[in-house]
Amino acid sequence: MGNEQEDKEMEMGSIVVEKVGGRSSVVHCFSRYPVKFIIPKKVGSSRTDVVWVYALNYGGGIVSGDQILCKFSVGDCCTMVLTTQGSTKVYKSVGSKCSKQLLEARVGSNALLAIIPDPVTCFSTARYYQKQVFNVSSNSNLVIVDWITSGRHESGEKWDFDLYRSINNIFLEDGEPLFLDTMSLEKEKIGCIHELVQDYQVIAMILLLGPKLQFVQNLVQDKVKGIMSEQLQHPSGALSHKRNEAGYFISKPSLMASCSVFGTKIAVILNLDGKVMISNYNIILWASSRLEIMELVLSSCLLRTIVF
Amino acid sequence: MQISEGCDNGPRLADSIAQWSQWQLLDSLLPTGGFAHSFGLEAAVQSNLVSNPDELKTFIIHVLENTGSLLLPFVHLASVSPKLETWHNLDKILDATLTNEVSRKASISQGSALMRVGSAVFSELPSLKTMRNASLGSGTISFHHAPIFGLICGTLGLDSTDSQRAYMYITMRDVISAATRLNLIGPLGAAVLQHQLAPNAEAILEKWKNRDVDDACQVAPLLDTVQGCHGYLFSRLFSS
Repeated sequence: MGNEQEDKEMEMGSIVVEKVGGRSSVVHCFSRYPVKFIIPKKVGSSRTDVVWVYALNYGGGIVSGDQILCKFSVGDCCTMVLTTQGSTKVYKSVGSKCSKQLLEARVGSNALLAIIPDPVTCFSTARYYQKQVFNVSSNSNLVIVDWITSGRHESGEKWDFDLYRSINNIFLEDGEPLFLDTMSLEKEKIGCIHELVQDYQVIAMILLLGPKLQFVQNLVQDKVKGIMSEQLQHPSGALSHKRNEAGYFISKPSLMASCSVFGTKIAVILNLDGKVMISNYNIILWASSRLEIMELVLSSCLLRTIVF
Repeated sequence: MQISEGCDNGPRLADSIAQWSQWQLLDSLLPTGGFAHSFGLEAAVQSNLVSNPDELKTFIIHVLENTGSLLLPFVHLASVSPKLETWHNLDKILDATLTNEVSRKASISQGSALMRVGSAVFSELPSLKTMRNASLGSGTISFHHAPIFGLICGTLGLDSTDSQRAYMYITMRDVISAATRLNLIGPLGAAVLQHQLAPNAEAILEKWKNRDVDDACQVAPLLDTVQGCHGYLFSRLFSS
């Protein structure tokens, strides 16, 4: 990640949340151009102990060559949500420069950090690199939503960017790696990105880690199994010829999702490829708003019907 | 000129014998259970992502691409340093990297089988058996496939590039075999396809070889999702 000097230059924002008077509170908040944090006082029910942070980029997006580092610390037993006000637009690359967005977070014992931004949208020729590193305790809780759309639909851009690399790494207290995931879509290396993703317009990864999320994990596993089992047909034998002759037209599923358990059975990751248009963000099946996800997570009981 | 038979033939004989071992390692006859896994092909067929020969070919290329980007680093590093500590470190990192449960379990099952078979078959290389026994007891080693494959290749004297090429070879071999068992292609068609794809596989090898594990990445997210769907199949031929 570079030396301390580089870190200092790149650090555009940092927030520390600790318990003050029994409630999760922001005890330190720093941001400088192009990053800005908005921390509204009243979000959701007053019964829930949570700090909501909206992260904004001046100019509404990430410009070619931007290098942004933000650090977060969530103290023991605290809860923090980090989200955005709109999708993160990554503008076209100028001179092959790559934009970088780095996040480092420390999550304390029995604490919960939820990173639930709007999706990233890379414009044609954009080059974007994102790395999120989490240091957690054995009973920390983490919700990470990391998703990307195919591009600006109105302009006909579909998977037309040059580079998108997203890294999510989770380490335990002793430095042991718990989760190391890198997704790399690079036009130069793999040719047509469209071919690898086919007609899907959104790729999402959702990670649920920690004892507080047990209920949601089970819910998600069952939900995904239910949806996918319906989509998958019985085996059909030989390929194409017979089907074409008979005039079948069988379409591919509009949503491909799989749910995996990793680590010591306390975490779940979910991979989604949604075929929906970017105008409806109903990719997150079990909550149509971020507020619903958080209420579900925090109160550990079903408040609203999970709607598809 | 005197021809001294003893020392001149020694190294050449050793090389020739080594080739028998290397070929045996790549032979599908070796009982490592590779044929229980379809690499997501069965799920892809049932979800209509693969429904004709062109889509099958594309699918196989994507599997090879993702193998290159994600797993070759582990084969590479294990083959250049076929030691216990290297193997254990790579195994731990791969366990955190294979976030897809289906792929992770398949890797563990194939790796365990390969280590068991390798240490029994290549008995003239006692290090394999020693390393295996040392690791079974610990409970912290998962026995993932790619590092073990690299370890055995390195121990057998294959250089790193050949080891990585061998890994690409067996991956392609196993997916194509799965395709024939799923009735997607006949045995002759499969052999023709395997030969046709060799240049693709070689190009993919060139692109992704000799990288560090820090650079290991997924390049086919749809494939990853499809592979993870194997558990939702109503009726299945393969374990993954």
